[in-house]
Amino acid sequence: MSTSKRNQNERADEAGQQEQQAAAEFQDLDLETLDLEVEAVDERISPSETNVFDK
Amino acid sequence: MSFPITLIFPPQGHFTQPYLALPCIKAWLNERGFGDVDMLDLSIEAYDHFLTPEYLTYARDRARRHGRAQLETQGPLPFDRMRAWRSAVESELTADALIESIDDAKAVLRGEACFEPDRYIPAVKALYQGLRLVSAAHFPSELTPHNFTMRYANDRSREVLAATQDREENPFLAYFETQILPRLLERRPRVVGLSVIYGSQLIPALTLGRLIRQHLPECHVTAGGGFLAYIGKKLMHAPGVAECLDSMIFYEGERPLEELCRALEAGESDLSLIGSLTWFDRRGGGLQTVENPPGHPVHLNQAPMPDFDGLPFEKYFSPALVLPYDINRGCYYGECAFCTLPTVIGPGYRTRAAETIAGHVLQLRDRYRTTHFNFITDCMPPGMIKDLPDALIANRAGITWWSDARVEPKAYDAEGARLLFEAGCRKLLFGFETATPRLLKMMKKGQSLRSVTQVVQNCADAGISVTLYAMVGFPSETREEARATLRYIEESVPAVREVSLQTFHIDEVALTYREPERFGIRILDDPEADLQLYHDYESEVGMTQAEAAEMFEEMMQGLANALPIFSGDSIFYFMQKSHYFLHLARGMHPDRFAELAQARAAARTQPKPTGDLEVRPGLVARELGHSYQRVLRTLHDPLARAARPDFLTGRFVGAAEELAARELPDAPAESRWLLYEAGVGEFVELRPDGYRLLEAIRRAGSLGRWLRTQKAPGERGAAALRMFTQELYLLGVLVPAATGPLPDVLLPRPEGRPAGAPSDLPSRTH
Repeated sequence: MSTSKRNQNERADEAGQQEQQAAAEFQDLDLETLDLEVEAVDERISPSETNVFDK
Repeated sequence: MSFPITLIFPPQGHFTQPYLALPCIKAWLNERGFGDVDMLDLSIEAYDHFLTPEYLTYARDRARRHGRAQLETQGPLPFDRMRAWRSAVESELTADALIESIDDAKAVLRGEACFEPDRYIPAVKALYQGLRLVSAAHFPSELTPHNFTMRYANDRSREVLAATQDREENPFLAYFETQILPRLLERRPRVVGLSVIYGSQLIPALTLGRLIRQHLPECHVTAGGGFLAYIGKKLMHAPGVAECLDSMIFYEGERPLEELCRALEAGESDLSLIGSLTWFDRRGGGLQTVENPPGHPVHLNQAPMPDFDGLPFEKYFSPALVLPYDINRGCYYGECAFCTLPTVIGPGYRTRAAETIAGHVLQLRDRYRTTHFNFITDCMPPGMIKDLPDALIANRAGITWWSDARVEPKAYDAEGARLLFEAGCRKLLFGFETATPRLLKMMKKGQSLRSVTQVVQNCADAGISVTLYAMVGFPSETREEARATLRYIEESVPAVREVSLQTFHIDEVALTYREPERFGIRILDDPEADLQLYHDYESEVGMTQAEAAEMFEEMMQGLANALPIFSGDSIFYFMQKSHYFLHLARGMHPDRFAELAQARAAARTQPKPTGDLEVRPGLVARELGHSYQRVLRTLHDPLARAARPDFLTGRFVGAAEELAARELPDAPAESRWLLYEAGVGEFVELRPDGYRLLEAIRRAGSLGRWLRTQKAPGERGAAALRMFTQELYLLGVLVPAATGPLPDVLLPRPEGRPAGAPSDLPSRTH
């Protein structure tokens, strides 16, 4: 087996392990009941804090 | 014999371009025989010093002493701890990334990359957040690009003087001691002149003045500038100020400073013949404040060209140098009821001749190798609106410039506007104030709405970007009248590109203070405020001050919806002084810039992911005991904002802190996860469930890989996941992964198509 092929297989094994680990740890995630609200915190800097033309 | 003079612009002013006062005075002193004059712009130098990896590392470590753990209990977070909590949270999430990226951010703003929005916006955000970290290290002091405030009120001399010695909270004390004092000790100036234009400079200026007086007893420390013109007399009579200053100059600085230097050089201790000077007479071991009568104003057309030599041009956060130049002083109109200009600049209106201006501009252009100018004027008279473009065109100046302006319908006709554009004018800022004729009359503005519309349209047609100054809360103004102003602006888009909106303030020198009955108001005094300049008032009719503050927020929201430059994060272009102008100066039409801003805002809502997604590498996440977003909303409430020193006035509104603490809700104890990504410079808040899901995706390596470990979700589950991942994709938390296509269950589908059905999107192949 060539080195690159071996590396590919190793990476695939690694990814497979990651997936299994994730599956084990997060197998109880029920998407229908999760609270998945996302709040973007935008406009932290408001123009009302400034008066650019005086400064 | 050498007579070294050092002119200083103390922190804090804006960081994109030099200020004009010191170069004018330096040129004047040089011309009058004082050859050893240097200038220190300590505002830009301090920003540059604070925004370094070394200082931010120090700030991070210092901020940790007031860490979040001390503020979070199991119970709710009361209003009086919210600012500290917010500050601690932000420091915790951002510090390491900022230390890493701050040098790059400054390089972006100083170079060609400044013109690339995807690099410019995150760089500006890094500067803002860097200053939040600096502030966190000195909590509750706040240093921003536009302001510096401490827990101390600017209108009480005892507090101001205490602030100058507060080693914990005044970041400038250690900065001056370690960075500036050694330079001054080496130079040993005989006179130091401090230019205090803004209220935000008062505490830093006096902090420095105190240090100089302690360490250089032979040096005379004087101060002047716009802000001191208002409160200077009061300040010079306040106990303890003589430890920070020796004298103060009112109105223009050129002639009084020259006479002061001449007197000190001659060893005179009696300064009573120097016009416009107020000084401490310390003769015979006494201490007495002496107010000299005003001196004669400068004949402006004979004043020398400003001399910018020695200013640290490379430090300003701008890709090109924009030089300020004063084409006139004072206002030829001089009637507006709210105006306080004569107090600052002295009586009368003086101008340079158009030929003089053109000559100076050419010399400045060649000497400093820049073609960008900010003409400093409160308004150009109609004759100058024609003569100046003629002179610039005839002299082939080849410059671009922006300036303030007054609505002059005859001068800004179609041909006048065309000539202005040809002469390099790219942006004009007009004093519009309100769309209500009744109020325009009360303000004595001397302009009609019709003339505003006409002037704005002529300028826009010529390709000049138009900004309007507007005001909310002028005595007797009603909510409906304020909304009419907003409607007028909305209808004036796209001819109007930007609006600088302010709430109305009453200061002691305006007509509104001197004759309150004319405006139906009753002035309220604060007996504790010995430096009081701005006053609360009660109005018989129209909005109260608090209602005007609320209306301000409503109008700002309307402007954000109506003006492309105010949409999304394009607002940073508006907020960074000349940065938008520099785009125009490079040939971009205002319409094109508006299109780009709109496209940028739209990009935040439209794109859908097309391939597999992974969690952005380097994402920082922290579990919090309260909702950051909820705390932020509370701190943005007008009641909460009033509890900080007001932006414009630097004073505390009476009992605002107590009122806010009483009226505003606590933040309940609730588990939240806050994410921060330095490349985007934004925060995203998730519920614990959302973070668990995100963590699952991260550990699996990608969204697709995680999904392969799960049972196929039902319709509702798939919809929830789709919405979650799309939002996080738009916010930059999830980014394209190189692992393959987007899992089928997450593909956008026409309405009604069941989950798992084949997609008919042509761009996708499975």
